Amino acid sequence: MKKITEKSNIKAVLTIAAATLLGTNSLAHAESNTFEAEPDEWKFDTAVLFYSETDRVSAGEAIFNAQKTFDTEEVLNLKLTIDTLTGASANGAVAQPTVQTFTRPSGNGQYQITAGETPLDDTFKDTRVQLNAQWTQPIAPDYTVSGGLHLSKEYDYLSLGINGNIAIDFDRKNSTFSAGFSYFQDTFSPEGGLPKAFSSMLVGDSDASNWDDDFQTTRIGSDDDKTTVDILLGFTQVINRRMLMQFNYSYSTVDGYLTDPFKVLSVVNNNGEAQDYLYESRPDSRVKQSVFAQSLYHFDTTVLDVSYRYMWDDWKIKSHTIDSRFRIPLGDSFGKESYLQPHFRFYQQSAADFYQPFLVDNEAMPAFASADYRIGEMTAYTIGLKYGMLVNNGHELSFRIEYYSQKPTDAGVEEIGVLKSVDLYPSVDAVIAQVTYSF
Amino acid sequence: MTNNRAINLITNKDSYSVQFNAMASPCEVIVQTNDKTLALKLGNIITKEVWRIEDKFSRYNQHSLCSLINNNAGQAVAIDEETFQLLTFADHCYQLSEGLFDISSGVLRKAWSFQGSNNQHSTFPSSAKVSKSLLQVGWYKIHFDQQTITLLNGMEIDFGGIGKEYAVDRSIILAKQLTDQPVLVNLGGDLAVSGPRHNNQTWQVAIENPDVDSQVNTDVNSDLNSDVNPDVNNNADMIVALKSGALATSGDAKRFLIKDGIRYGHILNAKTGWPIDKAPRSITVVAPQCIQAGILATLALLQGSNAEHFLTEQEIKFWSRR
Repeated sequence: MKKITEKSNIKAVLTIAAATLLGTNSLAHAESNTFEAEPDEWKFDTAVLFYSETDRVSAGEAIFNAQKTFDTEEVLNLKLTIDTLTGASANGAVAQPTVQTFTRPSGNGQYQITAGETPLDDTFKDTRVQLNAQWTQPIAPDYTVSGGLHLSKEYDYLSLGINGNIAIDFDRKNSTFSAGFSYFQDTFSPEGGLPKAFSSMLVGDSDASNWDDDFQTTRIGSDDDKTTVDILLGFTQVINRRMLMQFNYSYSTVDGYLTDPFKVLSVVNNNGEAQDYLYESRPDSRVKQSVFAQSLYHFDTTVLDVSYRYMWDDWKIKSHTIDSRFRIPLGDSFGKESYLQPHFRFYQQSAADFYQPFLVDNEAMPAFASADYRIGEMTAYTIGLKYGMLVNNGHELSFRIEYYSQKPTDAGVEEIGVLKSVDLYPSVDAVIAQVTYSF
Repeated sequence: MTNNRAINLITNKDSYSVQFNAMASPCEVIVQTNDKTLALKLGNIITKEVWRIEDKFSRYNQHSLCSLINNNAGQAVAIDEETFQLLTFADHCYQLSEGLFDISSGVLRKAWSFQGSNNQHSTFPSSAKVSKSLLQVGWYKIHFDQQTITLLNGMEIDFGGIGKEYAVDRSIILAKQLTDQPVLVNLGGDLAVSGPRHNNQTWQVAIENPDVDSQVNTDVNSDLNSDVNPDVNNNADMIVALKSGALATSGDAKRFLIKDGIRYGHILNAKTGWPIDKAPRSITVVAPQCIQAGILATLALLQGSNAEHFLTEQEIKFWSRR
C-alpha cells in the first residue's frame, strides 16, 4: 500500500483548501489557525537574537511571547522583550588624518580616535525592557476590535503607548478592511542632559574645577519629550486559493525632541581640518507617510512572500524597501517538518534635506543640520537564511542567520583638503543570528 | 429527488429541532433557543441550502450540474465559481492522497456491487472487468479551469465524498449569519456546530455502532458529560462532546463482500480498482470544518491497515472501528 508522503502537510493544506472553498477564513488566518490551536490554551514563543556590526554595536535580544485564545475567540497576547546594546556608534564627526579627542555625552571624560578612523563613541551601552499587551476580540459577526498597551524603559528613555484597531471582514471574509491608530509618549533623559543645538562640544580636562559649570552652558535641560501619532489603514484581499494581497497606508506625525543628543558635526576649515564639533540640530516635528503592498503566494508546497514599501516625509527622506521570503518545506528528511527560508531585503533612501557630512568654518549656519549617517542617502541589503523544524511535542525550533550591509552614498559635497584622504561615508556590515523556540 | 421535501419542527426542552431528509439521509438542525420563529426561519434557510446543493451536485439527479457534466463527457461544460472551488478542493485531495482519492472513481462501482453479505459470490467481479472500468478512472485525465470542465468519453465524476460535508459547512455559515444562538447541523451523521451551547456547555453527540441500523444521533438533552465514553465495546454508542468544529464519519460496515473468507470493504483504491485491504469499517474524525473531517476520515480509510497510524501522525482526534 502506497503511503501518503509529506504527511505533515496534509492537515495544513486541507485547512487552507477548506478555508478557500468555504470563504470562511483569510489565508493568513487559516495558516495560523492549525488544529492544535484549541481554545483556552496558552501558546508560548521565545526568541534570542544577536546583532553585531563589524567593529561597532553588538545587540542581544530576548523575546518572550505568550498568547491565550479563549473559547469565545478573544485573544490575549503578552510580549516581553529585553535588549542589550553594547559597543560603538558613529558620533557624526568626520575622520581626520590626525588624532581627534571627543568628550563623552555624559560629560564625564574623553575618548580619542586614531587618525583616519571614523569617530565612534564606544560608550554605547544600554538595556531596554519592553512590555506589550494586546487584547483582540470579535464584537459582531465580521467585526474584530483590538486594543493594546506598550511600555518600554531604558536607562535614559521611557516610552508609553496605546493603540486601537478595528477589522471588518466582508465578501465572505475574502476581504478585510482595517483601521488603526496608536499614540506614543516618549521621554528622553540622557546622562549629562540634552545638548544645546549647535553649541560647541567642550573638550578639555573634565577633572578641572570649572568643568561642570562650563559643561552645563552647553546643555538645555535634563529631559525632553516627543509624541507620536500613527494612523494606519489596511486592506487585505484573498485573490484566489493560492494568493493573498495586502495594502497599507500609514500616516505618522511626531512632535517634540527629535534630535539625537549623542550626535555632532565637524566644523572644518578651508583645508578640511576639524576646528570644532557642534551638537546637531533637527526640526521638532516630522510627518511621515508610507504605502505598503504585500503578496503571499502559495505554490504547491512552497510559499513566496514579497512586499514593497514606499515611505516619504517632510524631512525629504524617501525610501524604498523590497522584502521577500521564500519558504521551502524539506519534509522530514532534515528534521521533522523542516523548512528552509531564504530572505532578501533591499533598502534605498534619499537624504534628509538638512543632512550634511560636515560644516565649513565661516560659512552661513543652516537652520538645522545633522551628520547622522542614518538620515543620509544610502543603500542597504540583507540576505539571510532561516531553518526551522519541529522537535518533541510539536514545538518549533528555528535558526536564522542574516548578513546586513549598508552603504552610504557620497552626498556630493565638495571634499576639501585633508577630507579627500579619509572615508567620509563608511559602510556598515552586520551579522544577525536568531534562535526561536515555540511551545 | 424532490420527493419528501418537508420539514418537521420538534420542540425540545430548551431547543428546537428541524428534521428533514436530504442526500438520502435523515437530517437535523438543532437550535438552542425559545424563539420558534427563529427556529423555523433557520430551518427554512438551511434546508433550502442543503437541497440546493443536493440538486446541483447529486449524481443521482438527472437534472443536476453533476449529471450534465457526466452526460457531456468529451465536451467542455460550463461551471460556476462554486463548482470550480469544489473541484479545486477535490484536486487538492487527489494530490494529497497521491491519487487514492479520486472523484472520477465512481464508475468502478459498475464492476463492484456491494450489497452486504448475501449473494456475495455472484457479485464478485473478474479482474478483466475491473481493469476495463479502470480505464475510465483518473482525475489527471480531466481538465478544468474557472470556466469549464472537460471529461474524457466514458468518464464520470461524483461529489459523494465531499458534497454532504460541504453542505454541513455551508449550513453553519448561514446559521451564523442569521443568529448567535447555538446551532448544530447534522446531515446523516456528518455534522458541525456553530459554537458551544449556552453557558459554554458542550454538545453531546452519540455515534451509533455502525452495525446497528442507523448512523449518528444527536441528543442535546443528554446529561452525559464525559469527553468520550471510554468503552471498548463495539456494540455501544460513543458519545463525543463538541464545543466547536465538526465531525464526519467515513466508511460503512454494511457494505462489503466476502470471498474465500476474506471481507472486502466498499472503499476502492482508485488506482487499482480493487478494495482497500484491511481498512477499518469506519472512521470518525473531528476537525474545524466538516469537509476537512470528512476528507481526513476518507484519506485514512484509503491507508488500509495504516489508517490509525496516519491519523495519529497528523495529531487528529479520531475514532476508528474495525
